[in-house]
Amino acid sequence: MAQATLTPAQHRRRRLPDLVFQMGLPLALLLVVLFFAWSSPAFLVPSNLESVLVNNFTLLAIVSIAMTLAVASGGIDLSVGTALDFASLLFVSLIAAGQPFGIALLAGLLGGLGAGLFNAFLIVGLGITPFLATLGTLFIGRSVQQLTTGGGIPIYLSKAKVPEAATFLAHGDILGIATPLWVVTILIVLFTVLLRATPFGRRVTAIGVQPAVAWYSGLPVRRDLVLVYLLSALVVAVAGLMLSATVNAYVPSSGNAFLLNAIGATFIGTTLDRRGRPNVPGTVLGVLLLAVVANGLLLIGWNFYWQQVGTGVLIFLVLVASFASRRWRKAG
Amino acid sequence: MPSTDQSASPPALAMHGLIKDFGGVRALDGAEFEARSGEIHGLVGQNGAGKSTLIKVLAGIYRPDEGRIAIDGQPVSDLTPHKVDRLGIQFIHQDRLLVPSFTVGEAVFLGRERTAAGLLARRRMEREARALIAEQFGVELPKGALISELTTAQQQLVQIVRALAQKPRILVFDEPTAALVKREVDRLFAIIERLRGQGITIVYISHYLQEIERLCDRVTVLRNGRHVGTVSPAATPAREIARMMVARDIGELFPKRQVTPGAPALAVRKLARRPHLQEVSFTLRRGEILGVTGLLGSGVKELVRLLFGLDKPDAGQVEIGGQAATLGSPAAAVARGIALVPEDRRGQGVALDASVRDNTTLASLARFARGGLVRRSEEDGETRRLIEELRIRTPGPDTAVRDLSGGNQQKVVIAKWLARRSEVYLLDEPTVGVDIAAKVEIYRLIGELVEQGAAVLLVSSDLDELAGIADRILVLYRGTVVRELPAKDASSDALLAWSTGAMEAA
Repeated sequence: MAQATLTPAQHRRRRLPDLVFQMGLPLALLLVVLFFAWSSPAFLVPSNLESVLVNNFTLLAIVSIAMTLAVASGGIDLSVGTALDFASLLFVSLIAAGQPFGIALLAGLLGGLGAGLFNAFLIVGLGITPFLATLGTLFIGRSVQQLTTGGGIPIYLSKAKVPEAATFLAHGDILGIATPLWVVTILIVLFTVLLRATPFGRRVTAIGVQPAVAWYSGLPVRRDLVLVYLLSALVVAVAGLMLSATVNAYVPSSGNAFLLNAIGATFIGTTLDRRGRPNVPGTVLGVLLLAVVANGLLLIGWNFYWQQVGTGVLIFLVLVASFASRRWRKAG
Repeated sequence: MPSTDQSASPPALAMHGLIKDFGGVRALDGAEFEARSGEIHGLVGQNGAGKSTLIKVLAGIYRPDEGRIAIDGQPVSDLTPHKVDRLGIQFIHQDRLLVPSFTVGEAVFLGRERTAAGLLARRRMEREARALIAEQFGVELPKGALISELTTAQQQLVQIVRALAQKPRILVFDEPTAALVKREVDRLFAIIERLRGQGITIVYISHYLQEIERLCDRVTVLRNGRHVGTVSPAATPAREIARMMVARDIGELFPKRQVTPGAPALAVRKLARRPHLQEVSFTLRRGEILGVTGLLGSGVKELVRLLFGLDKPDAGQVEIGGQAATLGSPAAAVARGIALVPEDRRGQGVALDASVRDNTTLASLARFARGGLVRRSEEDGETRRLIEELRIRTPGPDTAVRDLSGGNQQKVVIAKWLARRSEVYLLDEPTVGVDIAAKVEIYRLIGELVEQGAAVLLVSSDLDELAGIADRILVLYRGTVVRELPAKDASSDALLAWSTGAMEAA
């Protein structure tokens, strides 16, 4: 027995590589910020930083929070775009039809929730793996949108029709801070606490780590998984509403653009956790990294396609660095 | 030493002086095994005696720390599964391992697919496979069937045909009858005897001494990783073989305690889940340790699954604390105060990559929540208390359970249920895979559980353990309780005789 048990001293020694592993992401973010500050005078100015946060960060962060929840439960949600688009579609359609803002908002959230309910039915009810179930929802969602919009024609809102509340949601500010930043901050705090400190979050983490143990411990695994996919869709629906309010339009299948970045940010974020688990703060840093890189490369004159390459290389480097340090930890 | 006739040809299979350690646990301790060419040679021993380790060494899955292996007198070394395959040794495993979504033809020819012009010849493979099975066993499998659509017995035929297609010299059967009904067992035995007639050497592993008696020419008994003897079942009564299997020098291993059983905690009436569990009734009282034993296929595992809500019964009632209970899910069972310490500790008992604290509080998180938030400090407090109470050896609550020894991992599982304040404990082989010192610790813990008024259902195939710490022992055989013994009257060879069906034969 003794040889398999660590003494406290051994335990402390193992912590050092842990720290290197965990610090990789913040360090990468810092380096990237310093690099762009040095290479472009337009980067480190307040107006640009706000633009990074509002334009590059907010929506992706919201979608990525949803993704983090699904990944933490041991699954994945490939249909975030569907929930986002459904929310946008219902919201914009109802506004266009002259309905009040509150009704349209509620309908948008319910539209997103519908996608989540369908996922929950496939995954918990029928026992289809989350990857396939949400992939199916993604395809169905895209078809539904094409069918209902005459092959993918956007719905634009004329200036006169846009409610003030929608303008406020996208472009307003409270105490000098843009409304979208308030929304995303509230969601970040809420879901950090939810995943980390509530019984529900702890159960979800257990289900993600070792589902059999959760089941054999008498946890309400099925109910919790239903909640995970409902919550995921609901959060994404918020992003859908904000996107609609920002562009005053519904553009079919625009939500899928966030999918891969959200998955990337979630997995980059796992490097922040000592045990390599999905976590909201890590995901947020991951989104921030992606946002800064996208903005910075634009400023130093890289075109869109090279930005993609740059982003890919960066994700790769962060993951390699932290997995290398994790292997080092295991070997040491 | 196995008896060897020096004048005859060398044994088909000889394994000498095998030693294999697993992190301080010696699974094989100089084990010997010899099978003559063309005989059916039984291999028996209690759980943990080293049977499966021996077979895995032969299969090239484990590398022995020491020892020699010879096939037909030729020494072989550095075995790998591929090399073993080439040597003409094939294995029929009870729960192995055909790909469920394959067709019969694909399964039989997996790894040596028939091709035509570089492409898979599917039709030909199906045809040949079905023809082989019909020719060998006189059985027609449904045309175009997938493995998952076949019965266990049919899957086994596919395995055997798959093995025979390799023209094996040695065929190893590992508990082949555990999932078969009587008629299928008879047919399997006829097949095995015919294979012997074709000159194939058969190694036959079984818990059922009746089968050994009926089928085997000789039988080797292992105990604690050592060779106890090789005898002829025809000349040796099953009860004598049973006696060889059981060690008996560990009486002081079991801490004594004095508890008077109280009110009924768990009452089971005519509980059934067919075909494995026919009809079982018993009452378990607070402060009592009720031992349950039975071999693979006896229904013991099914009983545990029913009581924890993992399966639903066909018939029968369960009462907990005198009230009827429907155990539709583990969550429902846990809500009624039932706790399960599962046999698969690392897969189902503890989350290895989670901390001691996260594992300990997993089933009782609501207890530690104030205003909807789990209080880390209260979790830590409870975890530290249980670490101390159960003497869990860990640097602290934050250590990953993976870094703990098996015995301490098992204590974490028990801690999880203590934190949940469970009252009825289902312990499924709680000391499997832990060393002897940790066993004693776990026995002490079980004693403390019942002293505090808990009720314990101890499922074990370690018969000394049952006789040592249980108050009463139920023996299950083919789905029913064949015997209830007070522990003071239960010698481990009597238990073994009942659970192997030797008593019925005698």
